[in-house]
Amino acid sequence: MNMYLEQLPQQLVNGLTLGGVYALIAIGYTMVYGILFMLNFAHGEIYMIGGFAGWWVLHLLTSNNQPVMYAALVIALMIVGAMAASGLLGIAVERFAYRPLRQAPRMNLLLSALGVSIFLQNLVLNFQGAKPRFFHVSSLIPEQLRVIEMGSVVFSFMRILVIVVCFLLMALLTYMVKKTKTGKAMRATAQDIEAAAFMGIDTDRIVVYVFLIGSALGGAAGTLVGLLFTQVDYYVGFQAGLKGFTAAVLGGIGNISGAMLGGIILGLLESLATTFFPSAYKDVVAFAILIIVLIFRPWGLMGEKMPEKV
Amino acid sequence: MMEGVLEKRGIPIRNKFALCAAAVVVLVFLPHIMPNNYWLRIYTMTGIYVMLALGLNVVAGFAGLLDLSYVAFFGIGGYTFALLSSGQFDIHLPFLLVLPVAAFITMGFGFALGSTSIRLKGDYLAIVTLAFAQIFKLLLLNLDRPINITGGVNGIYNFDPITIFGLKMMSAVAYAYVIWFFAMVVIMGCFRFKRSRYGRGWEAIREDELAAEALGVNTTWMKLKAFAGGAFVAGGTGALFASFQDSVFPNNFDFPQLVIVYCMVILGGLGNILGVILGAVLLSILPEFLREYGAYRMMSYGLILIVLMALRPQGLMGSVGFLARGVKRADKDETGMLRASTELYYDEEQRAKREEAIYAKGDHAVLQLKKITMNFGGLIAVNDLSFVLHEREILSIIGPNGAGKTTVFNLISGIYPPTSGSILYEGMELTGLKPHQVARIGIARTFQNLRLFNKMSVLDNAKVSQFCRTKAGPLSILFHLPLFKNEEAQTEERAKEVLGLFGARLTGYRFDQQAMFLSYANRRRLELARAISTNAKVLMLDEPSAGMNPQETLEITDFIKQLRDVYGYTILLIEHKLNVVKTISDRVIALDYGRKIAEGPYDEVANNEQVIEAYLGRKHAA
Repeated sequence: MNMYLEQLPQQLVNGLTLGGVYALIAIGYTMVYGILFMLNFAHGEIYMIGGFAGWWVLHLLTSNNQPVMYAALVIALMIVGAMAASGLLGIAVERFAYRPLRQAPRMNLLLSALGVSIFLQNLVLNFQGAKPRFFHVSSLIPEQLRVIEMGSVVFSFMRILVIVVCFLLMALLTYMVKKTKTGKAMRATAQDIEAAAFMGIDTDRIVVYVFLIGSALGGAAGTLVGLLFTQVDYYVGFQAGLKGFTAAVLGGIGNISGAMLGGIILGLLESLATTFFPSAYKDVVAFAILIIVLIFRPWGLMGEKMPEKV
Repeated sequence: MMEGVLEKRGIPIRNKFALCAAAVVVLVFLPHIMPNNYWLRIYTMTGIYVMLALGLNVVAGFAGLLDLSYVAFFGIGGYTFALLSSGQFDIHLPFLLVLPVAAFITMGFGFALGSTSIRLKGDYLAIVTLAFAQIFKLLLLNLDRPINITGGVNGIYNFDPITIFGLKMMSAVAYAYVIWFFAMVVIMGCFRFKRSRYGRGWEAIREDELAAEALGVNTTWMKLKAFAGGAFVAGGTGALFASFQDSVFPNNFDFPQLVIVYCMVILGGLGNILGVILGAVLLSILPEFLREYGAYRMMSYGLILIVLMALRPQGLMGSVGFLARGVKRADKDETGMLRASTELYYDEEQRAKREEAIYAKGDHAVLQLKKITMNFGGLIAVNDLSFVLHEREILSIIGPNGAGKTTVFNLISGIYPPTSGSILYEGMELTGLKPHQVARIGIARTFQNLRLFNKMSVLDNAKVSQFCRTKAGPLSILFHLPLFKNEEAQTEERAKEVLGLFGARLTGYRFDQQAMFLSYANRRRLELARAISTNAKVLMLDEPSAGMNPQETLEITDFIKQLRDVYGYTILLIEHKLNVVKTISDRVIALDYGRKIAEGPYDEVANNEQVIEAYLGRKHAA
């Protein structure tokens, strides 16, 4: 038992890092679901493309494993590049795969999303190959900063960076949704898309914004995970997407602050679980949480239970 | 749109034999004309994919359940075979025993997984089943330690040689025969299930789950059966596949495999058996011609899904497609002109002809509501409501919008349990029963907003209602046992008899017409016919004349009265048109804000101060 206790602070930090990333992914699911009531199955792939975009920025801005400009600037550009690439991709996916199906049965929409997911995954496989791309991040951080020790707990600089960026982005999003005019329009559209349209809101545009923001955050998560675990491959989106969705459901799908909370809880649970289970089964923990939540409390921790309209 | 018209009408018996004979001849010859072993292998794999796709079609096509753990069931079948007929644990059971064992074990898993997740809707079911599939894959990969069960990434490959009745299966042609034999069995099974109470029940669930439940289909149980049935086929196919490949690896049962099978089913047309077979054959063979572009194979599957969903969600063989253009449409005559209904207007003669009234209101209380309250999280929709419905009475419930009328129906039919109070039918407590049980007991209803099974034919819509009166199980259906045949005849007779009550409006060529193509008034009539077809004693009609013109209203009013006078039904009616209420009601109950504000004969209720106030608002205090 003592051994577990010793590991606890370390696992908490790891869990918080992971949780921040899951939260970013979950936001994309939850925003789209909140407005269109659809599960954007391709969101995991958008996250993966974000990882690759970050890798390309890093690749172009380094020579001989040395950054060509300030390391901090490189990292910032990586994140911005990933957000731009994923955001635009999200808009394209919505325009071509989802918008034509707005009136169609939900099953068609989900199958189309499944198609997008397969398409993007294999597109990347064909053009980037099956081997992972490595982020040579060590050159980006001065040696004395790489590892920070506090008592028995060891932080890596990247973990701190990831946590800070995640929470910064979430704070920005919260501000946007709560305080700006666009945010108000989004909340109105999520409540009732038709009524919002009648009140003069261009709901198609709001849907585009939602895909832009959700996908951009997913892309940022992709690059952050790349920085943390130093690699990305064409298949990472599948697992990450499922985790993000689990987080969104855990928090109550359609609820943005729920998604943030769900992500962090999932990250912490998963990280604590590795203390007790063999690490090969750590994903089983996440999936088991997903199944249990969906079966017993499908409206999540913060969502509202809605009676079915007859 | 989900199925070819040919399929539904049924092919004449002699042609059926000819067709089967032709299929057998083709299947006997095909393996011998394959140019080489490579193509023979593809031919055999096509048979496996046909089975796999048809199994998925039961779950996703018939019942409309997005089951993403389907490929895991395929894997469970494969690994069961691998464990029971190989050197892995030194268990060497014969092939013909392992095959059904694998199928039944997989079906057991199907029941187990299904029973936890089946009440989830659409996307949620998809994601939970996907999580199951992922857990399955993780187990396959990691159960080689601490004891080696699955062989991890290396899979299992030291299989026993296959023997059937003592004959060793050595040649690839023999395999082709075995696989295609089972494929034919699965094809035939699918056709038989589709044209049975199961098929209709599943289709009804896919079209409108709540309506199916309210008409007596045990939706939870039927969905579970679809899930398990799909698992059964997948498991058997998995075992066949494992024996054919002579090995199993986790990769055989991974997500891309699932996507391939989904593409086959959707390309052909979800729910359309011939279409799904076509889809499976096309997608098994086409990639072989495009082998140099092999890397793009999975990518193109993704594109197929996206493009099909956008342009042709009903698949290649949807009934209005290029492949079905030659098929006659039920609502067009020989020259291709739309048929006009000859009896559009209400016929005075027919009215005079109608049978004599033999029934009138009795005094025996059939249905009793006692202090029923329904509280939707603070909103009290029905408040302390009590009333009695007598035998063969026509009792109308009136009240302004939002008074709780439809909620009363939902409470009686078991869609929600009341917060408090009790509902008695012939002294039996109804609260706590599910809607399909209530329908079975003898209380059927219609819906205010029309909940027909739009893509099913008029006749099938009425046949669904006989689901709760029939009990043929899988074996009867599969082998066309007498029980099945008798029940089918009875179902058909009853459906035609009830539709016949509406004259030419729902009969003749309209039997085969999809419900969605009916005129509005005819859809309302079909709702009513569907409720009557359940053999219910009590009918609850929710605004049966809504949206009808005055002529049609007159007719339906008359019809409802006949239902009691001539056929002896007990009727609980919600209606906004007060002249309808006035003409046919024995008694009227007025609701406002969920409370009963008046009860009695129409004239009394219509002149009640409170009722007038509820409808028109409070008068100024003069």
